[in-house]
Amino acid sequence: MNDKRASCRSLLLNYIIALAFIIAMNFILPRLMPGDPLHAIYGDEALVAMTPELEKSLIKEFALDRSWIEQLQAYIIGLLQGDLGFSYYYKEQVTSVIMGALPWTMLLIVLALVMATALGIILGIESGYRRGRPQDHLMVAGLMFLSGFPMFFMGILLLLIFGVSLGWAPLSGAVTPYAGLEGIDYFMDVLSHLILPVTALVLVLVGETFLITRNTVVSLLEEPFILTARGKGCSELAVKYAHVGRNSLLPVVTKTGMSIPLLLVQTIFIEIVFSYPGVGLLLTSALDARDYPLIQGILLLITVLVLTINFLVDILYKRLDPRVRYAH
Amino acid sequence: MMLQIKDLKVSFGKAEILRGINLGLEIGDSISIVGESGAGKTTLGLSIMGLVKGSHSGEVRFRGKDLLTIPEEDLRGLRGKEIAMVFQNVEDALDPVQRAQDQVAEAIRIHQRIGAKGAEAAAKKILMSVGLKGDKARAYPHQLSGGERQRVIIAMALANDPALLILDEPTASLDALTKADILRLFRSVIVGRISLVITHDIALASALTEQMAVLYAGEIVEMGRTDEMLREPRHPYTRGLIRSYPGMTTTKDLQSIPGRMVHGLRGCPFHERCTQRIEICQREMPPLREIGGRQVACHRGGIVPLLDVRDLCKSFDSCDVLRDINLTLYEGETLALVGESGSGKSTLSKLIMGLYEPDSGDVVLEQQKVLKRDISFYSRVQMIFQNPKESVSHRMNVLDAVLEPLVVQKKGTREERLIRAKEVLDHVELPSDDEFLQRYPHQLSGGEVQRVAIARALALGPKLLIADEPTSALDPSVQAKILKLLMGLQDKMGLAMLFVTHDISLARKVSDRMAVMHKGRIVETGATNEVLSNPEHPYTRKLVQCASGEPEKMDDRKMPDREISKATENIEINLGEGIRCRESNF
Repeated sequence: MNDKRASCRSLLLNYIIALAFIIAMNFILPRLMPGDPLHAIYGDEALVAMTPELEKSLIKEFALDRSWIEQLQAYIIGLLQGDLGFSYYYKEQVTSVIMGALPWTMLLIVLALVMATALGIILGIESGYRRGRPQDHLMVAGLMFLSGFPMFFMGILLLLIFGVSLGWAPLSGAVTPYAGLEGIDYFMDVLSHLILPVTALVLVLVGETFLITRNTVVSLLEEPFILTARGKGCSELAVKYAHVGRNSLLPVVTKTGMSIPLLLVQTIFIEIVFSYPGVGLLLTSALDARDYPLIQGILLLITVLVLTINFLVDILYKRLDPRVRYAH
Repeated sequence: MMLQIKDLKVSFGKAEILRGINLGLEIGDSISIVGESGAGKTTLGLSIMGLVKGSHSGEVRFRGKDLLTIPEEDLRGLRGKEIAMVFQNVEDALDPVQRAQDQVAEAIRIHQRIGAKGAEAAAKKILMSVGLKGDKARAYPHQLSGGERQRVIIAMALANDPALLILDEPTASLDALTKADILRLFRSVIVGRISLVITHDIALASALTEQMAVLYAGEIVEMGRTDEMLREPRHPYTRGLIRSYPGMTTTKDLQSIPGRMVHGLRGCPFHERCTQRIEICQREMPPLREIGGRQVACHRGGIVPLLDVRDLCKSFDSCDVLRDINLTLYEGETLALVGESGSGKSTLSKLIMGLYEPDSGDVVLEQQKVLKRDISFYSRVQMIFQNPKESVSHRMNVLDAVLEPLVVQKKGTREERLIRAKEVLDHVELPSDDEFLQRYPHQLSGGEVQRVAIARALALGPKLLIADEPTSALDPSVQAKILKLLMGLQDKMGLAMLFVTHDISLARKVSDRMAVMHKGRIVETGATNEVLSNPEHPYTRKLVQCASGEPEKMDDRKMPDREISKATENIEINLGEGIRCRESNF
């Protein structure tokens, strides 16, 4: 048991080191650029619109008139207070701008990830279990076809078919504006806006999980312990899910952890296609406006997000596979 | 019968893995299924479990129900409950992500109405009873040693107290000490059940089971009591298996079975590798028949006795040189005839060859009394002698020497004889180029001349080779080569050998059985390892002691209480005395 805690602690330490490195980069890079850091942080256009008062307050805020140790101190204290700077485009604190968009993105990503993974695993197990039979061939071919679509194209396709032609789903946004809905109606409204973007994400993402699961299942079925399970008198369902399924989760979890950064990028495309008011859409408008503090804030947030999810995956993997607990 | 297998056939695609297995077992029976890998042993186990994937026919009746036809649902109810199997492969037979006790508890919960808590407690109890103690029950498979994992697997099989327990190579990947522990455990758990032990480990089979069935290419070729089968195998394949198994009591060098197993052969499945096959073996599958308390599937009734010597007596003038000699030599085996000089060994071999006429008694070759020594006799029995330089005429070159028996027996045309001569020279690993063929014995080394002598003996394709001290004139390294050659020929051709020697340590390495001669009588016969490790006759004991270099112990020791055959009771022990003659005739 002590071993377990120690290995968890060392894992956490690894993540803290990575986080510290990223924060340090975020701090150092603007200050390494030629010219003055304020210029680097806010860009040309922002400075044109800047009044001397604002400039003064910014210099004070960043402690630019003091030594770099004090600057770092000020930066970290700012971060700890949730201060990522000021977005001159939105005329608001970066933190609050991001916080307005983050829940929508999280909703999208978490839903898509859970659904794609669950669906991929179930289809993968069923397909691997029927290896070589028509259902298996059908599933492999179909899902390979779907995962071949670029994400934005899938989004556009769904939008055209179900949004524009059939009119079954709203075309854009996360909620119907100015509808003033409450309770269950609000929930249904959010859901109807979610359907198409989540479906697009799931359809493209599910293929990879499916293939990995299926391949693992195919090789697992040859394992002696599956014979042991059958010899015990396990039902097919128990063999399929309690033994084969449980063991096939391991590579899936690893793969999912690794594909999170990619998923974030995919989500940005989907948010653009569906004008979904998440972090991705926010990032594009920040890029358009060259709102550097906002861009930096979003990038920092995304890296922290990726690190957190990877950390959770590592923990989950240890829970799933007892062999890894002692591998560190 | 609790378990009755009738004409069980299993095939995967076109390959027939099991070709009609019949087996009947009651509670308390234990049987081992032995054979090479790929013989179908595991398939047999899996068919009883109803887990075999190929197409099958026949019946596997368990408590009257045919396991091959009952619905999968019912089969699942039996599996793990009434019939349990310990699968081979200790490394991977457990689910890597579940605790040992959970896996055992699962086996219990499938078949019994019991809560999670109850099942866990029961699992712990069973694990305890198979010797997995303390925290180990909560461990994951990778945290357990091979022996501990095997215990978990056994616990899982025993979880529901099955009536039929199938053990598939249960100790294959364990070290000797762990194996001994697990073996002890098996002995206690198989009591009161039907146990079927699938193994290639003959020591395991003899330790665990009372009966044994030898499986070859999907057919049972021999079945009987384990101890009897190991002591006296009847089917050539059984003998081959035992000969290739490195037991602690084996004294003869390991011999392999020539060729490899092929499934789906017409006729007897073993005929391609069998050295005593006859024409019918290639056409018809021999049925499993009861022969002397044993089931043997062989057209020839098992390993055939090649040579029988019955009550042979011989005296020169008034000296009784041989008295009531009885010997049996089986196809493909080596019988060592050991004894001091003058004990009558050479006389016996010359009598068999027909160089002397016996006073009374018979020599029987392949169940026929030998009345005259003609071509058919000499093409079956040949001899090699002690001193090769003397036994190969110095006036003949290699080719003439090897051709001679063919010429004398008027076999084949000139060309055929030449081809045959080159072939046998090849068998004895000599060159067959013209330069070598033209050499004379004095141009060859001792070992080479002996090879030529062996080639000459082989030229007629004999079944029996009488070798009279064939290596005593050679140095040890050449001797080793010649002996290896002879054993190799035995593997290949099924040659039976009567190996006459005074060197008991040499006999120990080359012979399957041993006959000890003393003063014109055979005083002891038996399997070589038994005779040597447990010599019953005082004379044998002396020979063994002398050979082991313990002359100080050579004074007569008290005989422990043991029965010796009556014929030898009165023989006086007097080393070096030789044969006594009847005084009245002097």
